[in-house]
Amino acid sequence: MTTLTNGTPPDLTGKNLSFKRAAANRAATLGIALCVLIAAFPLGLVAYQVISRGGSAMSLGFFTEEIARNYRTEGGGMGPAIVGTLLITGMAALISIPIGVFGAIYLNEYGKTSPLAKFIRTMSDVMTGVPSIVMGLFIYVAYVVVIGERNGLAGALALACLMLPIVIRSTEEMLRLVPDELRQASAAMGARKWRTTLGVVLPAASSGITSGSLLAVARAAGETAPIIVTVGLTYIYKPDLFDGANTTLAAQIYRNATQPFDASQERAWGAAMALIMIVFVFTIVSRIIASRFAIDKR
Amino acid sequence: MKLNRRAVFGTVTASALALSLAACGGGDDDDSGSDGDMVSGEIIGTGASFPDAYYAAAIEAYADVNPDLIVTYDAVGSGTGKSDFGEGLNDFAGTDSLVAEGDGPEEGAYQYIPTVAAPITVSYNLPDVEGVQLGQETLAAIFQGDITSWDDDAIAADNPDLELPTTDITIAHRSDGSGTTGNFTLFLDEATDTWTLGAGDTVEWPSNSVGGDGNTGVAQNIQNTEGAIGYVDLADATETGLTFASIENADGNFVQPSLEGTTAGLDGAVVNDDLSYNPLNASGPEAYPITAPTYILIQTEYEDADKAAGVKAFLTWLLTDGQEIAADVHFAALPEGLQQQALDTLNETIPD
Repeated sequence: MTTLTNGTPPDLTGKNLSFKRAAANRAATLGIALCVLIAAFPLGLVAYQVISRGGSAMSLGFFTEEIARNYRTEGGGMGPAIVGTLLITGMAALISIPIGVFGAIYLNEYGKTSPLAKFIRTMSDVMTGVPSIVMGLFIYVAYVVVIGERNGLAGALALACLMLPIVIRSTEEMLRLVPDELRQASAAMGARKWRTTLGVVLPAASSGITSGSLLAVARAAGETAPIIVTVGLTYIYKPDLFDGANTTLAAQIYRNATQPFDASQERAWGAAMALIMIVFVFTIVSRIIASRFAIDKR
Repeated sequence: MKLNRRAVFGTVTASALALSLAACGGGDDDDSGSDGDMVSGEIIGTGASFPDAYYAAAIEAYADVNPDLIVTYDAVGSGTGKSDFGEGLNDFAGTDSLVAEGDGPEEGAYQYIPTVAAPITVSYNLPDVEGVQLGQETLAAIFQGDITSWDDDAIAADNPDLELPTTDITIAHRSDGSGTTGNFTLFLDEATDTWTLGAGDTVEWPSNSVGGDGNTGVAQNIQNTEGAIGYVDLADATETGLTFASIENADGNFVQPSLEGTTAGLDGAVVNDDLSYNPLNASGPEAYPITAPTYILIQTEYEDADKAAGVKAFLTWLLTDGQEIAADVHFAALPEGLQQQALDTLNETIPD
């Protein structure tokens, strides 16, 4: 490699460009900035709508009280739905993230281009595109009907099926980005392959794996269709996922928003705001965790 | 930092312990404090959305009567309720239509318990037009798509005094398998000669129609679409502020849906041995023609004795004290004879 050591550094400010090039540069920059604004506009509107409409439903009671037994009347809270969302999504993450990460390790570190690895890779790509209701119906047939009960675990299983391909593919991409030199260096120090993978490769990719998994968790937390098919409905706190029907915020948003009553519409907006807040907190917390674990910036 | 973590861990463990102790303590209190005849536990019902306004109000009131028995009713439609019942996913099912072959519940595994009845309104959305009257044949023609505009001659003939707009008609119907659809189409099938779409929980609606989920979904569609007409239970139609048409009854009078009209219809109905009955198009000058019954399906044999006791306790209350709140939410209570018959059957099906 050659290095530029002598002479003045190149002028990158664009001051000496010809008029034509300066104009093109300006136009392109403006165009990009406009795209950013257009992209941010709907996001801003959604946030504004949810906060302005959901804000009026917010109170301490909204987070702690049981769900109203009657859509039509005011009152009640979303406590059980918040607990349900946390538990069901948490359980789904607990099932899918370890399996997904280890699956990705197999694909990238061991399987590579073997027929099995190729097959799994293709299948998980296909699975990413499967509509979430299909996962719900699969769990309904394979689990709910078999045990004869809708419960929280069924929802967690459906969400785990949904998250698994996303976790596998995003983790594999992250592992692929880890430079081979690190693996070779580790091997040269005498570390075995499993040691290298656990001690060098995984930590190097940890922040990427976290954000990939987080994307999957956030998507799962907002899923409605598979939850309605597999989880059922309850008004009370159900901390035990094996103990009968449960509910989540996304399901409550759907149920309340599809009712024509003012009280239920307001509850739906409130639940939407609560869900956004939960996902927001999740994101921040896991970013912090990821930055703690990550190896120093390369 | 380490100390902090330990402190946090300690707090969490301590509070978890405290919580579980409190939970145990609470349980003991309940055991000693209850009267003995109060059932506790949880029962889940799914099914018809037609009586949901009544069941939701009843469950709300029952939570004060017996807070230890948690009753949940999920208004997913009669069709899903019946198939859930067949799969054993619920403890009772709500349905407005009778069980047909292929619905899910097996012959002999279920018993109908009638709970309340209510008129199915024909609601419409025409700003500034009130008091539309519809003959039975006109109604059939509208809902099978033969009449597509509000200023049609047939509608004008039923409403000589009204100025009708040229708005196109949009039919609002149920998209899910529904006992309301079942009763509404059964009425059109029985009452008119021209109805061609048949009767059932789902029928093939004409193309100028829009489907909604549950009675409230249909109500919402009517509310949002000018020129829409659809069938909705009285409670949801009233609460969403819809306008209803007067419907021609068997005696040729145009009648507004009302609880009095429903009770008049119930009195004329014949109750079968399995407690099913058909109050549709009953005779009587005041009777509202589209009056629908609604039932709860209970299992003839419950595997879990606690569930059986829970269902029995809730239904017993529903058929006695629970009947009193029916009128408040626009449902007609059962006539006393039928109420007693239902209670007797309940006691026979689930003996103590």
